[in-house]
Amino acid sequence: MSRWISILWLAFLFSIPLWMIDLYVLHILINTGIFVIAAMSLNLLLGYTGQLSLGHVAFFGIGAYVSALVSLGFDLELTDTYTFVFDAKPVWIAFLSGIIAAGLFGWLIGRVAFKVRGAYFVIVTISFAEVVRLVSLNWIDLTEGPMALNNIQPFTLGIPNLWEMTLYQKIPNYYLVLVVAIVCYILIRRLVHSRIGRAMIGLRENEPLATSVGVNVTHYLVIATVISAAMAGAAGGLYTHYFRIIDPDIFLFIYTVTMVIMVVSGGKGTLAGPIVGGIIFGLLPEILREFAAPEMQWIIYGIAMILIVFFLPDGIVPALKNWWKNHRSKRTDSAEMDAGT
Amino acid sequence: MKTVKSDMSEVLLNVENIAISFGGLVAISDLSFNVYKGEIVSLIGPNGAGKTTAFNIITGFLKPNSGSITYRDKSLTGLAAHQVAKYGVVRTFQKTSVFDGNTVIENIMMGLHLNGRCKVWEVLLGLPRVSIENTRLEERALEILDLVGLSNRASDMASDLAYGELRLLEVAIALAAEPALLLLDEPASGMNPSETASFMKTVSKIRDEGTTILLVEHDMRMVMGISDRVVVLNQGEIIASGTPKEIQNNPKVIHAYLGYGDEDA
Ligand SMILES: Nc1ncnc2c1ncn2[C@@H]1O[C@H](COP(=O)(O)OP(=O)(O)OP(=O)(O)O)[C@@H](O)[C@H]1O
Ligand SMILES: [Mg+2]
Repeated sequence: MSRWISILWLAFLFSIPLWMIDLYVLHILINTGIFVIAAMSLNLLLGYTGQLSLGHVAFFGIGAYVSALVSLGFDLELTDTYTFVFDAKPVWIAFLSGIIAAGLFGWLIGRVAFKVRGAYFVIVTISFAEVVRLVSLNWIDLTEGPMALNNIQPFTLGIPNLWEMTLYQKIPNYYLVLVVAIVCYILIRRLVHSRIGRAMIGLRENEPLATSVGVNVTHYLVIATVISAAMAGAAGGLYTHYFRIIDPDIFLFIYTVTMVIMVVSGGKGTLAGPIVGGIIFGLLPEILREFAAPEMQWIIYGIAMILIVFFLPDGIVPALKNWWKNHRSKRTDSAEMDAGT
Repeated sequence: MKTVKSDMSEVLLNVENIAISFGGLVAISDLSFNVYKGEIVSLIGPNGAGKTTAFNIITGFLKPNSGSITYRDKSLTGLAAHQVAKYGVVRTFQKTSVFDGNTVIENIMMGLHLNGRCKVWEVLLGLPRVSIENTRLEERALEILDLVGLSNRASDMASDLAYGELRLLEVAIALAAEPALLLLDEPASGMNPSETASFMKTVSKIRDEGTTILLVEHDMRMVMGISDRVVVLNQGEIIASGTPKEIQNNPKVIHAYLGYGDEDA
């Protein structure tokens, strides 16, 4: 049953570029897809381990900046006489570097932050994002600061020097984002259905009990943070090479908030939650832009958020699951009654 | 089923001179006792005697101010709780403690954490051994549910269980961690007499399969019916220890329980 739903969904998603001729719509979908990946990565931490990282955009931004810089190359005047020159690398290597860099920072933050938990974790992650933003703003030699990094190469596909295709167009970029999203989804699903994921869920549900059966809490929180950060870094890399320009605004707090809203409204700790929430809150602003004044857009956005959180506190996906379960049990109940009479 | 009888020659757990105080309150002043391999030992005493605190210290949830805990010649003093579990010393909690938002079988699977071996990268790559291991753990979980008599509830949510069933689930989760020494903190509280009677059988069965048991319990019928030895704690000190019969007739114990002054005890 759920297998068929997944297949239908995939078929639908893969078919979109075949019949959707409006490139602007594809652009919105690509942008939304990137945010869905970021939301999925946040869900691993927020939804499955229960740790609220309010600096999640830092990992996204680190992935974006590192990927951009590695693909552009850069030089740093370290002393008056010595300049460190880093040659431009192919985009795929840059993309991987961004993922690894984000993962490393995830490890670092995990090690530091999980000594202090709860509210302190929230504060450490917010501060971290702010520090990274200030670095990107002020280290002008490296990041160009507010002038932004421009002319970032798009992704290329194929074998170097033999046949290569540069992904300038919307359609290949759409498929690229879709494939990365699917890979992230599969990885997260494998994880949460394994003993590793069970350890994470266990420490969310009842930390002393999880500890008493041998779960090393810090270890699993760090694993979750590293994977979550690396995936956010991948989303950042996709963003960089699609938009081909980034500036320090990528680290703004509002993006973390957007990710949290996507996860919470869709249903934290569910696989489909961040996808549903990500699609709704990724598309909503774009749809609203068509027919509402800017102030109205934000008001409607806010109202939608409040309604969802108020009426479906666990998020949309758990609410739908519950509804479906009740619906089914009601049907079987009445079937039994029919059989009885 | 092989039967392991209490063998008074092998000390499994040695608690020596532990003391702990919270602020000005001395919870345990000086506590020493042994648990021998294969026996069921009960630690009893009035409310506030320090029984749960002793459990917390043995299993690494609290650090004692002084004293040492030795398990099979290895020191447990100062180890973190998850490390103590790795050695095979597992406890349950006095307040009902399960993974509420999960099904009964998932609860046991979480308890089986140490039984699994798969690494993160193996999981991410989706190697076949990951799903093989998952199946194995699931089968093991069903066996454990069978042992405590919860098989018929496997796919129900833990939060839907009746109180007596919840208490069984807690024991089952601890069993999943494959303890050589199992510490049960008032496992029968809240059970009705017939549930307690069948729970006593379960505990004996667990012991017969090779798990040594340290029990804290207020239900005297259970304590006297099941224990090989009883240790009585009052105000952070041991006031008596011996077989259930000896304890029942010990005037100090009777005084402690009836609440006479400590001086004449
Ligand atoms: N974390 C703590 N902080 C402060 N005081 C504590 C703490 N834990 C226990 N105590 C105190 O230590 C004393 C012993 O408590 P403990 O819970 O070990 O008693 P107990 O023998 O398990 O009692 P009961 O039969 O009621 O469960 C009590 O006075 C209790 O209030
Ligand atoms: Mg107690």
